[in-house]
Amino acid sequence: MSDQEDRTGNPFAAPSRHADRRASRERLLAVLFRLLTYAILACAMGIFLGVVIRGAPVIFQAQAPFINTDFFTQLPETLVVYEDAQGEVRKLSATRFEEMRSANPDRQFSIVDSYSYSGGGILGPLVGTALLIAICMVISLSVGIAAAIYLNEYSSKGRFMAAVRLAILNLAGVPSIVFGLFGLGLFCLAAPNLVPVDEIADRSIFSFAIPFTSAAISFEGWGACMLAGGCTLAIMILPVIITAAEESLRAVPHGFREASLALGATRWQTIRKSVLPYAFPGMLTASILGITRVAGETAPIMFTAAVAHKDKLPWIGDDPEASWIGRLLEFFFQSVQALPYHIYTVAAKIPQSDYNRDMQYGSVFVFMALVFFFAALSIWLRARIRRKLHW
Amino acid sequence: MDSGKQRRFAKRGKGFLGLTRADAIRYFFGGNASLAIFILLLICVFLFKEAAGFLPGHHAGLTKWRRSGQEFVDILNVAVDGHTRLGSALNIGYFAELNATSKAEQQQLFSYRAVLQRVKGTVRGPAGRLKKLLKEFTEAGEKLAEAEQDLAGADLDPARQASLRAALPGYRAVIAEVEPRIAMLEERIAEGVAEALAGDEVWEGQNLVADDREAVAEAICDQFEAAEQKHPWVAGLEDFVREKKAERTPQLAGFKEAVTAFRNAIRPVKDLISPLREAASELKQQAIAAESAPKRKAALLAGAEATNDLAERARKLAAAEAVVVAAPPYDEVAEGFYAETAAFEAVVADLRKEIDAAVEALPATGELADPSARENLERFRNSLADYRESLDRAVARAKDWRHDEPYPQVKSFLVFLIGKEWITNSSWHDFYGLMPLFTGSLLISMIALVVSVPFALGAAIYVNQMASRREQNLIKPAIEFIQAIPSVVLGFFGIMVLGTLLRDVSQVSWLAWVPGFPLQERLNILNAGLLLAFMAVPTIFTLCEDALNNVPQAYASGALALGATRMQTILRIIVPTALSGIIAAVLLGFGRIIGETMVVLLVAGGKIQIPDFSKGIGVVGEAAHTMTGIIAQETGEVDRGSLHWRALFMVGLVLFSISLAVNWGAQIILRRFQRHGT
Repeated sequence: MSDQEDRTGNPFAAPSRHADRRASRERLLAVLFRLLTYAILACAMGIFLGVVIRGAPVIFQAQAPFINTDFFTQLPETLVVYEDAQGEVRKLSATRFEEMRSANPDRQFSIVDSYSYSGGGILGPLVGTALLIAICMVISLSVGIAAAIYLNEYSSKGRFMAAVRLAILNLAGVPSIVFGLFGLGLFCLAAPNLVPVDEIADRSIFSFAIPFTSAAISFEGWGACMLAGGCTLAIMILPVIITAAEESLRAVPHGFREASLALGATRWQTIRKSVLPYAFPGMLTASILGITRVAGETAPIMFTAAVAHKDKLPWIGDDPEASWIGRLLEFFFQSVQALPYHIYTVAAKIPQSDYNRDMQYGSVFVFMALVFFFAALSIWLRARIRRKLHW
Repeated sequence: MDSGKQRRFAKRGKGFLGLTRADAIRYFFGGNASLAIFILLLICVFLFKEAAGFLPGHHAGLTKWRRSGQEFVDILNVAVDGHTRLGSALNIGYFAELNATSKAEQQQLFSYRAVLQRVKGTVRGPAGRLKKLLKEFTEAGEKLAEAEQDLAGADLDPARQASLRAALPGYRAVIAEVEPRIAMLEERIAEGVAEALAGDEVWEGQNLVADDREAVAEAICDQFEAAEQKHPWVAGLEDFVREKKAERTPQLAGFKEAVTAFRNAIRPVKDLISPLREAASELKQQAIAAESAPKRKAALLAGAEATNDLAERARKLAAAEAVVVAAPPYDEVAEGFYAETAAFEAVVADLRKEIDAAVEALPATGELADPSARENLERFRNSLADYRESLDRAVARAKDWRHDEPYPQVKSFLVFLIGKEWITNSSWHDFYGLMPLFTGSLLISMIALVVSVPFALGAAIYVNQMASRREQNLIKPAIEFIQAIPSVVLGFFGIMVLGTLLRDVSQVSWLAWVPGFPLQERLNILNAGLLLAFMAVPTIFTLCEDALNNVPQAYASGALALGATRMQTILRIIVPTALSGIIAAVLLGFGRIIGETMVVLLVAGGKIQIPDFSKGIGVVGEAAHTMTGIIAQETGEVDRGSLHWRALFMVGLVLFSISLAVNWGAQIILRRFQRHGT
């Protein structure tokens, strides 16, 4: 806004030096606001570049596949730093080192140092995170969308509804670590579990035997496992899903419902045929947004699901003879590695040295790339929906 | 076709369990919606369930602390603790004064040693191997020399001669093999040292001018080349310092005597306390043992009952017999404590006299040359009055102390809520006081808010009121991306980059005026606060922007029509109208910050202590611990159901309550805003 315009636009303002000074002060203020805005973006850029510059060299390489495939196909392992016969210091992940040593029994190596979790790749954490997200999204989407349908389509204003909305708002503000404690208390230590009668744990709150079998239902919890982590994350993300799903339902014009109802459709038919299909893209966006939040969370899965070390992938069972139901139970009731927890482990729980930088920056880079991919996807989808759906 | 069925159902009026299908669907969805309330209740229930028993357990622990006399010892110990702090201030002051004439040289020596240590650290691997090789080399050399001497010397029997001769090539081979490796390692070490010295890492934290740095680097290089020999520069410095100190010592004899007198004055008090401490400790052990005794006895008896082996049964019965179920001798031991009260009063009176004498003998602050010495002495004099008062209080409390006075329930709760110590796994007594964690959380959140609010609000105003459409389309998604950055990644960034960056910046000499600079540690409150500020920006920005957006257009139009400039409209009309929304946004941002875990766990420094506020704003340079951090760190490691475990759930409950209160406050403010907006 130039002072020229200011004066002509305001016939009552006296053209004085005072006005001039004011105009320049206002311009300065505008520049300040702009600077503040771009300072935020610059910080973001700095963090982003910092991770890319240090992380990309771990992931990409100059030779043929151009991507460090080992990093994506191996489980985290101990990194062995050794000195070979020429006196060169090299590093290898533990399995590779053993392979090489058994292949060259006559060569001399002296192991200098070893670092846990710093060698190999991040396949285990990646798979674990994917499974946790899948479980979480299945639960939270089914419950969240149903709740949103009720809130937007059925509910009338009332004390109960006010309470529900207040509860959702409050739930959204609960710290993630509290969800972690809650998940630990409920899912890991108190949820009903099917156990053999003679193996009921002492901590069981309440248990009863199922007649005619040797099994019992015991409220002793599931221990730290994938299912407990997924459920905890689902509860944490529920308010976000409900709010977003409700918003996309609200965006469907009222005319659609009225037309359908006027044609004699029941309320459920109306919802199924003329509301949900139009709200679906919005819900999809919301769920992807939910994924970005869930994927980044560490605190809720710290005690409910995640472990630092695991030497096999989740779907490889201990017992090849087990029945399919046994396998299924084993699958869901095992602890998993997770990418954020892996990063926490390599960044803070093991001794630091230059040798674990690769693992640290590589994991962080992949993690950021994943999260940003989902964030970009949701932003892009939303823009598309806005362009496509005009009512 | 579905509707036909529906109509039939409707006509009959009742479906399954008296529900029509439509009702069933409705209740299904309704059930899912009410799950939100249910979950909130469940969170309360399960936090309470695990935290239940904390207060009684805590109270029982404190009762034991009192009855066993540990409380008494802690009361007396106040005298020692305060004295130790004062004494160390004096000591620091004395040495600062002693070193005043050779300060720069000492600083150089100190830097030299510190850098040398770090350089040694960087070549630790090769150096270790070199040492091993050198040993091999010398051993082989010695053996070779010995063998040669034997061979050259007197006449040996042929068999021995032959064996010696046979061994010779082996020794030579070892020497030949090891020698080049030694040379290579030495070269590598020299390279490593040069490289480390050329880099900045080893110099971190050392305030050296370029010349000094060069001298230090040269001295270190020489040190590695001619091992065990002092570089003349270093030797010269050491001599100089020694000389100066020797010169200074007689001048400061009076000072030193006063300091020693002061520090020795506490001895009798310590001597008095230490047997009491042992007695209290032992009594507490007995109390703990006595508590579990009935259970152990019952278990042994049950075991004896169950076994059929006669010998085993007899053994178990005997063991059960041996378990003492008697109450520990509280009263008896307490009598001993009461008896010491008078003695304590007497020693404290002596202590006072000696302190007075020592203070008399101290030089006046003005006489001292060194600023640090003056500062420490000043601090000593200032806190002396406090200490004297604390002595009075300790004597009074010791007199009033009664081991059998029941510990008030309310007080045990207060000890948790406003207790200043969180000490766990201690051999003396575990204290669960929330204050260190709470102040840490609060301080970090405050820094984060102070930093993030101007940025977020400024950006919101800019994007909402001034930016072009194009800019909006760039900035809004970018800020959404910031929201998507996982907190553990930010924490990692804080450890790897921001911590080092902040410390380096804080050591720039022209920034020395900033309170708290130079920072002593990489992981501190400031670092965590800045990262959390970055995390809070998207939340506050989005909500502020919403609030600005909700201001009716008519307000702005009206202001502009009255001749206000654009900026006047924004600052005097739009922002004030949206103010309640902005306050709610800040509150919600606060809620998000105080509940954040990973960043503070990784970056705050993990020191469980109330930050030292005496430094003013400089307190931001300290390490701290937080409520969220302690839960994340300790929950995985403590025994389920122990008092410590329950304490952590109590901390969780406090966090939960804070988040509910913050949300509730934001709701109230927002509701008022909505009324205003329409």
